[in-house]
Amino acid sequence: MSWFSRLKNALTPKQLDEELADEMRDHLERRAEGLTQRGASPEEARHSALRRFGNATLLREQSREVRLWSTLESVLQDIRHAWRGMRKSPVFAITAVLSLSLAIGANTAIFSIVDAAMLRPLPVPQPDRLFTLASPGLTQPGEETEHEVESFSYPLYQQLGAAAGTTARLAVFSYPNRVEARVGGAGSVLETLERQFVSGDAFEIAGVTPALGRLFSRADDRIPGGHPQAVLSHDYWYRRFAADPAILGRVLQIERKSYTVIGVTREGFFGIEPGKFIDVWVPSMMYDKAAFTNPGWGWFRILGRLNRTTSRGQLLDRLQPVFHDFQEVRVKMFATMPPAIVKQVRELKLRIHPGAAGASSFRKTFERPLWIVLGVAVGILLIACANVASLLLARSTARSAEMAMRISLGAGRGRLARQLLTESLLLSLLAGGAGWLLARWTAPALVGLLSKQSDPVRFALALDSRVLLFCAAVSTLAAVGFGMLPAWQAAGVNPILTLKGSSGQASRLRLGRFFVGLQVACAFCLVMAGAAFLFSLRNLFAVDTGFNPEGVTVLTINTDAETRKKVEQRQLMDQLRHRMAAMPGVEGTALANYAIFEGSSWSDQVILPGKPPSEREELFYAVSSGYFSTLRTPFLSGRDFSPGDESATPQPAIVNRAFARKYFSDETPLGREFERTEGNKRVRYTIAGVVSNTHYGTLRVGAQPIVYVPVAGESSFSLYVRSPLSTGSVARLAEREAQAVGSGMRVREIRPLQTLVGNTILREKLLAGIGGVFAVLGLLLAAIGLFGLLNYSVARRTKEIGIRAALGARKGEIVMLVARDLFALVGAGLIAGLAGSLAVMNVFQSMLFGVRPADPLVVGTAAGIFLATALLAGVWPARRAAGVDPMVALRHE
Amino acid sequence: MAFKSAQTALDLLILTVVQRRGPLHGYGIALAIEELSEDALRVEEGSLYPALHRMEETGWISAEWKLTENNRRARIYRVTRAGKKQLEAETVRWTNYSAGVSRILRLA
Repeated sequence: MSWFSRLKNALTPKQLDEELADEMRDHLERRAEGLTQRGASPEEARHSALRRFGNATLLREQSREVRLWSTLESVLQDIRHAWRGMRKSPVFAITAVLSLSLAIGANTAIFSIVDAAMLRPLPVPQPDRLFTLASPGLTQPGEETEHEVESFSYPLYQQLGAAAGTTARLAVFSYPNRVEARVGGAGSVLETLERQFVSGDAFEIAGVTPALGRLFSRADDRIPGGHPQAVLSHDYWYRRFAADPAILGRVLQIERKSYTVIGVTREGFFGIEPGKFIDVWVPSMMYDKAAFTNPGWGWFRILGRLNRTTSRGQLLDRLQPVFHDFQEVRVKMFATMPPAIVKQVRELKLRIHPGAAGASSFRKTFERPLWIVLGVAVGILLIACANVASLLLARSTARSAEMAMRISLGAGRGRLARQLLTESLLLSLLAGGAGWLLARWTAPALVGLLSKQSDPVRFALALDSRVLLFCAAVSTLAAVGFGMLPAWQAAGVNPILTLKGSSGQASRLRLGRFFVGLQVACAFCLVMAGAAFLFSLRNLFAVDTGFNPEGVTVLTINTDAETRKKVEQRQLMDQLRHRMAAMPGVEGTALANYAIFEGSSWSDQVILPGKPPSEREELFYAVSSGYFSTLRTPFLSGRDFSPGDESATPQPAIVNRAFARKYFSDETPLGREFERTEGNKRVRYTIAGVVSNTHYGTLRVGAQPIVYVPVAGESSFSLYVRSPLSTGSVARLAEREAQAVGSGMRVREIRPLQTLVGNTILREKLLAGIGGVFAVLGLLLAAIGLFGLLNYSVARRTKEIGIRAALGARKGEIVMLVARDLFALVGAGLIAGLAGSLAVMNVFQSMLFGVRPADPLVVGTAAGIFLATALLAGVWPARRAAGVDPMVALRHE
Repeated sequence: MAFKSAQTALDLLILTVVQRRGPLHGYGIALAIEELSEDALRVEEGSLYPALHRMEETGWISAEWKLTENNRRARIYRVTRAGKKQLEAETVRWTNYSAGVSRILRLA
């Protein structure tokens, strides 16, 4: 009760003051009455009563302290004061809050993604006991990129599981893939689901419980092909079936198999892969039967859980020997493995990683870019803080008289600093709130930027307590960052000097210069980074792919029969192709087993007659005739594929120039033969044509050798269509024609080839986009800071400038005065910024393309833009200085 | 036994007065103390109030604005249950203490 009344009194101190005064007045009146009754005059009685009472003010203060929560009261007082102050100078308040909220919002938005993708533990019990397994990837001769392989084959999984014994349990989680599914009968609509194969104990190991029904157990995952059961995610169940409990027992048709739904996972569990939301889980035994005995078929990740007493290191000691023996067996199985690869395989070391945050393909691609982007956002925050700090400084100049007055009246320096810091906190609190809203709005948009149609990225982007805490921490830190120095400075005014009219403005200006210098340095770093990323992107756009993607639409087509012969399947494909080719407005068509630049590839060793298999595996790509003309890739010699090529022996192959140069050096390759192995057999090829070089899956690596072979019949294939028609029209045509062909032929995905190519540089687009925007933002903030300080410095020097003008200084000289000031400010910051950005650029190096760390073009552009902005910021103050009328300036004092 | 003597003595005095003479306003308490101690305890009258407010915060006494004679408003104090307990405990302690002191004074 007591703290409550003290809280209440702190909130309404006026009421308490009145009450205290009333009570004491009552006492005095009664005493005075008593005295008059004993014969004193009213005047005397009043005086005497007062005398006997003692120091009323002091006593009232004592009572006040007892009866209210004085700290809270003074804090509230500070807040009221700060609020009034901000209301009084709205321009300052809006500028400060706006720049800060942009910075805080950017940081919060990016942090929320970084958190969701990389930091946040999976929503399962004791995530710190989870681990994932990986091994270093094999590198082909000539490729030195370090990468890691997380795929494991079923035989290896079984051996590792046996070796782990009771120290840990291992679960299978296949790579999620998007599949077509039907819920209900044959007539129902096809929908695309994210499907994952898991071992029977996977849910138990991860620690997931059901929301409905039951999840898999070991008994549900024993016989290959024998467990047509499915578990749905809570999210999918909720979204698609409106959380209908009658879902249990219903049937899901996926890839011609009927799965019975047995349960739904509990809310919040999206899988073990941040960036993906799994819709349906099926037992691993439902995967392709051949995969369970094939030691070379890696198709899933391993997520494990350690028991209480085992460390990751101890487990690794148990698993490594098994892993090594497994690789030895593999080396013996593949007789043609080149010696360089054999050596690598023998030396492979199993790796064991913390699995608390799951395993994520998204993370692999975007980990570094996201940290960089977060770093850039921190840079913006620094600039915004420095900017607000200099605004606060300028404002405290205007308020130095007020401060001096308050110090003269006995306010302590600490108390004043606290008051000013409260203002900063209030500013950052408002900015934090606005930033929070901004983050809520931008974070999903940002994720959208990183998403592809065929591979959507989705995060549990709940802007929850973790992110809120981050936002609050950033806001508070910012407030302390920008508020502390100006507050201390402002509270330290010398009242005598200030009230006399001159103040410690020199030191304030020094501090202002420091803040502006800081802004210049940070902003320059941002401009450098932005320029580097933009140049990289431009270089990537300028890469000659060797084909013209403009106007080409890539359609992924599915047919429903698996039992059909390859030849019949190929006939169906040709039917569709010919129908499309006959459409008005279609300029070219081609078939392929999958599209370029979508991540699929097939590589094999090339065996020239009488020579050992090639060291490197080369790219093979199966296409139909018309592929090169449709993509506008020039033929150098020889002929295109023709009907029947796919069943000829030896098969005709078309190679690109890089292949011809590598394997046949200067000789003419037409008519030459080579082979590749397929199982125990060898497939023979004869070279029918040579085409110019093209990029295959990435813009970063150019001129890889490629072998084009005739495409065989596939139940799922890609159709390239060149047409000036819009993608939508092409899609509608294709849908109609596919239906006309029949056999369940349908269009599954439609993407412009340009989009496919663009998808491979999403990272670079992200960095260039955000880097560019932040560079402009940083530049703007720095320009505001520069302008403010120059303007202030001109105002302060009005008298001096007036005297100079009166003594005959020309306008040019006065402008030079300001310019010197400007260059002194920018110069120091620029040098610091240059040093900083060159250091940072080395970290970025792997993200850049065609840009060196200290690229003169980048440095030059950045410096040029920066100086131009600085000059712009200086124009107005310089004009103002030049326009000073000596008469007015001197009379002012 | 350590008393924060002056403060405790005043608290004890106030509690006793309010307990014996029923609900009282501040001036009434002052008069009663004056009368009881026959001016032996001369304190500034005003210092009564911080003491009253402190005891109110502690919960020994409670206060309420009430109308008194001639329609005047006054803040009337009364002893709470906690205050009564405190008074009993303090009285015992004080009696022991003063008995001890006077014994020392007699024997020394």
